[in-house]
Amino acid sequence: MQYKKKPYAVETACLTKRYGSREVVKQVDLRVPEGAIYGFIGQNGAGKSTTLKLVTGLAKPTEGEIRLFGRSVNSPVIGRRLGVLIESAGLYRNMTARENLVMKAKCIGLPEEKGVDQVLETTGLSDTGKKKIKQFSMGMKQRLGVAMALLGNPDLLILDEPLNGLDPEGIRELRQLLLRLQEEGKTIVVSSHILGELSKISTHYGIIQSGRLVEQVTREELEEKCQDYYQVEVQDVKRALPLIQENFPNVQAEVFDLQTIRVYGLADGSRLNQCLVEQQIPVYASGFHRMDLEDYFLDYIGGEAHV
Amino acid sequence: MFNLLRMDLYRVRRSKSAYNCFGLLLAMSVLTFWLMWLMATPEGQKTAIRIGMLALTEMKEAERVLEGVDILTFFRQIGLDGGMYSVLLGIWMMLFVCSDYQSGFIKNMMVLHQNRWGYIGSKLITAGIVNFLYLILHFLFVLLLNALFGTLVPYAALGDVIFYLSWSWLLTTAYCALILFVCVLTRSVAAGALAAVLLGGGALVMPLYGLLNLFHAAGWLNYSIYLSLSTGSNQYTSVRDLWVYAVGAGFLVLYTGLSGIIVKNRDV
Repeated sequence: MQYKKKPYAVETACLTKRYGSREVVKQVDLRVPEGAIYGFIGQNGAGKSTTLKLVTGLAKPTEGEIRLFGRSVNSPVIGRRLGVLIESAGLYRNMTARENLVMKAKCIGLPEEKGVDQVLETTGLSDTGKKKIKQFSMGMKQRLGVAMALLGNPDLLILDEPLNGLDPEGIRELRQLLLRLQEEGKTIVVSSHILGELSKISTHYGIIQSGRLVEQVTREELEEKCQDYYQVEVQDVKRALPLIQENFPNVQAEVFDLQTIRVYGLADGSRLNQCLVEQQIPVYASGFHRMDLEDYFLDYIGGEAHV
Repeated sequence: MFNLLRMDLYRVRRSKSAYNCFGLLLAMSVLTFWLMWLMATPEGQKTAIRIGMLALTEMKEAERVLEGVDILTFFRQIGLDGGMYSVLLGIWMMLFVCSDYQSGFIKNMMVLHQNRWGYIGSKLITAGIVNFLYLILHFLFVLLLNALFGTLVPYAALGDVIFYLSWSWLLTTAYCALILFVCVLTRSVAAGALAAVLLGGGALVMPLYGLLNLFHAAGWLNYSIYLSLSTGSNQYTSVRDLWVYAVGAGFLVLYTGLSGIIVKNRDV
């Protein structure tokens, strides 16, 4: 997928949010190019939802500036270009899916309800009939939340954990839907704990940690960073590391933990194993690894976090 | 704001709470008429004595219960003077506002309408419309009941009815603004329900009135929404009778302003 350079759909400058003395979003400079699918990643409590609330105007920043398509978020024109699903789908429990969508359509000011049937069809909810929201499964509510966000054909979709509660088929359908929407030229900011899914669609990534945007990369840059490596678990890393460095001068080796060494740029793993065994360093396990988004993220934040 | 208003009116039509609260109001009216029929009519008194509700010695006194009461006074006594109307209207208003926050639908509205005053305006116009319909339909229902129960009380002049309904509408709409203020401040159904019952039923104003009266300092409470509803005049006789409009308008502006400031300054 070739990404063309366009103006930013979302641009923030020094975005900061404080609750009392607690700073939950710190000097965030978010840049989401138009037409991108921006994967927004962070641990629980890292500040993802707060940042997205700030971007959508649901919360007021303590400091900083937000521009959507070059305009202030408070501009009345911007609201109509925005489709939002944050935290949970906001739905009236005693109403049907269609009634909830009609409410949103009236709120937007859509002259007719044709779009309502269209988004119900798109999200596979057209057969829910008179079923009330309180009888919906979590996955169905989530689909309806996406349908609500899609209503009015917005240019920018901001979806916070849209995959929550979806079954594998639902996840696949949503993935395909997001890709289709991107092809139509829409910009999508999506946060998810399911990093594997995120990596299948995102063209850009932003990693937020403790309220700070610690990295912002394109897919190409991430792929470059996620190099293949050969991982070897040995009894004694203190002896093994200098041995590898001496015998394989063209590779880069680093100690990952007390028993593990990661070797980048190695073509043949068996030679390295043989070398270690010949020097009587027991090898417990070894193999080539492809670092994916999850590995990269966990590496970035220190390895033990719950995404 | 008009898109929000269209949405709110659609919701009122579709949700059950407006019908349920109005249904309770009608049920209370039927009950009141039935009790008055039992007390004040010869046929009713026979039934009341048979079921043990009334003693023979109380008959004469019971007959006088509706003396000097016309349909307008009776209408007031059924709902507005005692606070039942305000409690039911307040509960509807609380459900109407708090469910925006409880359901999370408020996010959909606020993303689209960054001008928060539109939200407040839409809620109050909707409340005003519902309140107007409640008052008119309730009054018509009371007229119907009066006819069905054999004209228990005489009818009132149309001018008096219009005068009374107009100022009571303004005061009860101001009361809706008060409930709106409590709901946007607390975002809690429990707090909203408590406010609707305590403020609408006079459970806060009356004890406070009693307490302040000990120090001869309760006069200003006559200008509270609750007491104004009870003491406002049935008839327009002089400009002094218009004070209830001033109270209603004042509280409406005050609570609308406070609600707007809160919604504007608080995150969703």
